Order: sequence, then C-alpha cells, then structure tokens
Amino acid sequence: MTLPLAGIRIADFTVHNAGPFCTHLLSQLGAEVIKIESAQRPDIFRKPHPVYGRMGPATFDQVASNKLSVRINLKHPGGVALAKRLVAASDVAAESFRPRVLDRLGLGYEALRQVKCDIIVLAVSSSGQSGPDSHFAGYAPLFGAWGGLGHLTGFADGPPVEMRHVMDHTVGMNAAVALLAALHRRKATGEGALVDVAAREVASSLLGEALLLAAAGGEPGRTGNDHPRMAPHGVYPAAGDDKWLSLAVASDAEWRALAELIGASELADDPRFATEAARHANRAALDDIIAAWTRTRPADDAAAALQADGIAAHASWSAAELVADPHLHARRAIVDVREPDGRERAAVGVPMRLSKGGDIGIARGTPKLGEHEDYVYGELLGLTRSERQALEDDKVIY
Amino acid sequence: MNDTAPLTGLRVVVHAGGVAAAYAGRLLATMGAETILLEPPVGTPLRREPPFLPGTQVSALFAYHAAGAHSLVCDLDSAEGRDTAAALLSEADILIDDSPLAKRQQRGLDPEAIASRHPQLVHVSVLPFGASGPKAGWKAEEINLQHASGEGNLLPNGLTIELFPERPPVKIFGHFAELQGGVAAALGALAALWVRDEVGGQFVDIAVQDAALAVGAFAIQRYGDGSIEHRAERSFRYGGVLPCADGYVELLTLEQRQWEALVELLGRPEWALDPELSDSLERSRRGPEINRHIRAWAAVRKVADIVREGQAAGVPLAKYNTPAEVLRDPHEGVRGLFQPVAIEGAGALDMLVSPFRFGDAPSRLRCGPPALGDYGKVLAEAAP
Repeated sequence: MTLPLAGIRIADFTVHNAGPFCTHLLSQLGAEVIKIESAQRPDIFRKPHPVYGRMGPATFDQVASNKLSVRINLKHPGGVALAKRLVAASDVAAESFRPRVLDRLGLGYEALRQVKCDIIVLAVSSSGQSGPDSHFAGYAPLFGAWGGLGHLTGFADGPPVEMRHVMDHTVGMNAAVALLAALHRRKATGEGALVDVAAREVASSLLGEALLLAAAGGEPGRTGNDHPRMAPHGVYPAAGDDKWLSLAVASDAEWRALAELIGASELADDPRFATEAARHANRAALDDIIAAWTRTRPADDAAAALQADGIAAHASWSAAELVADPHLHARRAIVDVREPDGRERAAVGVPMRLSKGGDIGIARGTPKLGEHEDYVYGELLGLTRSERQALEDDKVIY
Repeated sequence: MNDTAPLTGLRVVVHAGGVAAAYAGRLLATMGAETILLEPPVGTPLRREPPFLPGTQVSALFAYHAAGAHSLVCDLDSAEGRDTAAALLSEADILIDDSPLAKRQQRGLDPEAIASRHPQLVHVSVLPFGASGPKAGWKAEEINLQHASGEGNLLPNGLTIELFPERPPVKIFGHFAELQGGVAAALGALAALWVRDEVGGQFVDIAVQDAALAVGAFAIQRYGDGSIEHRAERSFRYGGVLPCADGYVELLTLEQRQWEALVELLGRPEWALDPELSDSLERSRRGPEINRHIRAWAAVRKVADIVREGQAAGVPLAKYNTPAEVLRDPHEGVRGLFQPVAIEGAGALDMLVSPFRFGDAPSRLRCGPPALGDYGKVLAEAAP
C-alpha cells in the first residue's frame, strides 16, 4: 500500500532543526525528500556538538532520518545549476537560510519559477521574508523571546523561561501544514507558491488569547502552573527523588471524586473548596492538602488511581519513561530504529494514525553524506557516470 | 500568484469541546476553508473558558480559536440534531471531532457510522491520548499533556531553575501541547485529503500526547545517544535569560564568530580576552564564570540598547517581548500579522491571523468568532 504523500518530491535545502523537521514529517508521510548538503557545509549533526556532550558525528539524527542525501556545492556556479536541475524535477524546494541568501545565489523564488513554473518554495526563517527585522538570525530561544511565549512562561515571581527545541519543531510542524495547503492549491489551480513561515510568528500563534487580552487593554503575565479557572491544578510531588504528578480538576464532580479518593470526603463540602471559585481563591491551602496525599505515592500509581475516578492526571515523565511506554509504542508514536551497527534505539514517529495506506513513519535511518547520488543524479536527473565524475572533479558535487 | 487562499472550496465541520480540535479548524479556516462549528444549544464549552476579555464574559480563548468559522447549533443528543449533522457532513470534506470515545456512538460520530454514511469524508479524531491504545480513554488537561509528552519535566531551565531549584517543573504558557495536537490534526486532515480521490475518505487518529512528543523529539534522540536530559542541566552554559535594567533579553552564541562579536559588544573586557576562552569547550566549562560577568554587564543596561548594539554586531539577541509589545511590534506591523476582527460583546480587536503566509500578502481571516448559530441564518438566507 502506498503512503499518502507518495509521488511528492522535495528538494530540501533546510538546515538545523525547524526546516528539517518539516520535511522529516512529510517524508514519513511518503514524500521523497532529497537533503542537499556539501562536505564544506555539512549539516550540524554530522559534526561534533560539545555543548551537548557529543564529541563526534551523530549516529542517528531524528530530523535527517528517512531522507535521501546528495552533495551540492552551492558556492560553485555549477552547483547552482545542478540545484536548479534538481528543483526542476521536484514539487517543492524547502529552505531555511536567512532571507535573500538564496536570491544572491541565484536560487530565489523567481529564479526557481523560471526552471519550474509551478514550484512551491517553502522559506522558513526567524522573522519572515519581509519586514524590518527580516535579516535577524535566530534560534529557538530567541523565537520564544520575540514571540512572547518566553515572557508568559515561568513563575509569577521569577524571570521569563527560555524555549528550547520544541519551539523549532513547532515551527517545522506548522510549515508542514502550510506546505500541504500550498500543494492542495496547486492541485486546484495549477499555481505554485512561496510559503513564508516566520518562527517568531509561530511562537506568537501559541499565545493568541493573551495577545487578544493585550489588544483589549489587559496585561497578561506569568502564572506558573496556575490555571485561570481550575483548582486544584498543578504539578505535585510524588514518592521518590524529583518525581512529580500533574493533576487538574475541571469540575465540582471531579473535586468530589478527588476528595473521596484522598480520604478527605469532608472537604468536598467545605466552604473553602465547595465551588470552583472558592477552590481557586483558596488554591494554596488546597495544594498543601493534595501534596500531602501525592507525596507518598509513586506518580504512575497515583495517576492510574485518579484516572480510574475520572480525574485528569499524569506523571511527569522523563525520556526513559516515554521510551518504555506501551501506549506510545502501540500508537507508533515511539518506534524502534536500527543504527548502522545494528543496535536498536528509540525514535519518535509521525504523530498520527491513518486508517488507509501503508505504514507511515521512519523507514530509513540517517543517510550518509551523498549516499543517494546514484539514484538522484543517475536515475532521476539522468547524469552519466562520466558527467558525475566531471562534476566531482570540479567540486560541484562535493 | 493570485489572491485565492489555498484551501478555498474546502468545507470543514468541527465539533470541538477543547482547544486542540478547535485550533485544527482555525488553521484550516485561516487558509480559506469554510469551517462550521457544530455547537450544542448552550454553545461549546470553549465559549465559557477563561481567559475573558477585560470587563466582559467574552472568552478570549474561544474568540481566537473560532475566528473565521461559522456556528451551527446542533444537539447531537437528539435524532433531529444528528440528522442535521449528517446532512451537513454529506457536503463536507473534513470532520474534526474531539468527543470522548464513550460518547461517539450515541452522537453518531463513531468511525464505523461515519465511514458507512460518508465514505468520502476525512474523519479526524482529536483526543488527549488518541482513539486507540491502552490509554485511549484517559482524560487530560493541558498541564497533564505537557507532562505526558516530555517537555513538562524539562522546564524550567536556565535562570529560573537557578533561582528556584526546589520548585516543581513549570508548564509552558497556555495550551502549548494542545496546539501541537491541533497542528498535527490539520496535517493529518490535509494528508488524508491528498489521497481521497484514490482511496476515499479515512479515519485519522490524532493524540495530543503524540504531537507534543513529536516536537520534543530531541529528548528521545539524546536518550538514544546515552544522555538523559534534566532541566537542571540542559541550560546553555552561558548566555540565556539576561536580566537587564528594564526587562529581559535572550542571548545565545553558538558559533565562534558570535562569541567574538559578543566580546566586542561587551567592550573587550580583560576577562573575555583570556586566550583560553577562545576555545568553545573551555567556555562551556567556565560558563558560570562567564555568566557572572555577562549578567553584571547587562544588569545596568537597557534592553533596547543591548538589542540594538548586539544585533548590529552580529550577536544573536532578542528582547523578551510582552504580548503588548508583540502587538505593537513595528516588524509585525509591516508584515500584517494582526487583523482587526469584530468580537460580539467586545468590539473590534486586533487578532493574530496566521503563523504563515502564501506569497507576499498576509493571510486574512474571513471574520471574527461567530455568534452562536450564525450559520442557521446563512442557510435560511440562502434558501430559495
């Protein structure tokens, strides 16, 4: 059975995390993604990353997995010409350079339209393709800061909180949606498009309601784990070192069930806690009562007991607990992939289950640099062995 | 490129009690789909969910997530309501539903019933833990989903955990995980629609947990590399959140040239000229010492000055913007990120439209959030 996006080909010039996660998602849905690098400018996962304690190339890179790899030296005019040939054979060209970098190389949207009139170009950048800040470079923590998400995250009496890779990958998943929409439009109208995704705007899209409050004159700020309505609501200590349980009570009925479960049914009608407004006003006292119960229980046991009584709860899981979870495995949200040396390791799957078609998800690991040039340059572009050799000698394929 | 929005002509029916499903509909509406919210007679619970616009009982959460949509009142607990829904679905391309599993059959929204009555419909289920798997019946609010998917356990990092090492993890603002579920649902809907001509409609099962886990994929990758991340140690060794005289900036130098530019920005102080600090590993090792210097430097300076001089020098720096500052940001003004929309009970307010655009022009919302049942009037007016 074929995968839903089978037949869509993406020339992937993206680097780092945000753009590559977009094309990684689409590759898991069946798109053929050809990752373009060069020995001169290999993607970051091919290099040591001492900040994270990795002293050599990554053996597995989540966002590069499932892609094909070719080398093109874009600093060489011949490389630009080769890139155009590849784009001409593709449906989509994806890039995440600073705005106008590809224009200067002769690979901007207008130039690519000349080689393929209905090309869809995805441009992922920190601040978008237009506007006074469009030249700004950025990383996930900066997107979160510019966009407002960092300011709103944190304790009321503390500083803003730095956003990490989840911010990059959120940008990538949004870009995947936009790209599919552009493909639908091409199907309907025959026209290509330039899809402009600005990471800081993706960050802002996560606080739409707070932006609306600000527009109405409000001043939303940091509130830690508090919820504007629910109480109890928060992260409570569980048995063990640095173990936590998240818990949220959304209704009076759930509150009664919770009071019963923790052996304090008399609290259900206590005027301090009997209504949602009262619980919210007295949430500090309530949190102490809840914590006294959670503190002695393993987080997963407590969550199971709470769920059995209809109360939303879940342990605060580390990576080790996520990887071991039968539910996530059953849904193929966590999958086992094989390293080049045969060792198995966990990876994250594509976040959906489809009732029709073949198995979506990761089919291949991280490609070696230039691993798929026989297919891409030979079969797809029809270059002969000697033509390829000449391009290698000329450091175009490099 | 002409002005037609990419999903013009698509019809989407959304039955949403929560943020994830509603946001999926919102994204599709923003891209041009005709989106109709099916609401019970009292309206979706989202209409009653805080935060409320100042001085009103108008939900900002509902307004943001329902903008661009129509509303059709349809009581799925009655046979008449189910008939109305079925008639609507027979002319729809996509259904997005977040009914709890236990209620789907009685509402006529179980996958078997939908597939037999509407074989061409893309049926997207959005639930906290998905429609299948051992935890499919579990409940979750946003805070539970952040902790069920990894990132919850990993925050806060950096300055906040330095200041408050004993406190519990702190969640990302708002509905971060649920919004990931919404984006994944839109992605699933469009992927299934892409092959509808070949395979017909199908059932798309989205779990918010899966989607939030997917954006946190690097924690799983590092686990496979043999390192378990912990919020106390995952900070960048220097830089991060810098308290300034009048606010906060984010500083992150990953490349050698950025470090060198930072040294210039700091005015080439003696400590930074230590030849050993030209090595990135040594800088990581001496991160706390570097941070003491950088923080002392920043504490007496204004955010605007640091950001202006830093960006000019090639140091990656960003102001921690408040929502009001994002709203007034001249960059976003030029890009047209916000659009005034009418909100019943609150007047016209600027609303964020879309985190992406097609071509040079910003995306545009058809309208603000719908009055309850506005689509019934549309249908009545359209009737001959």
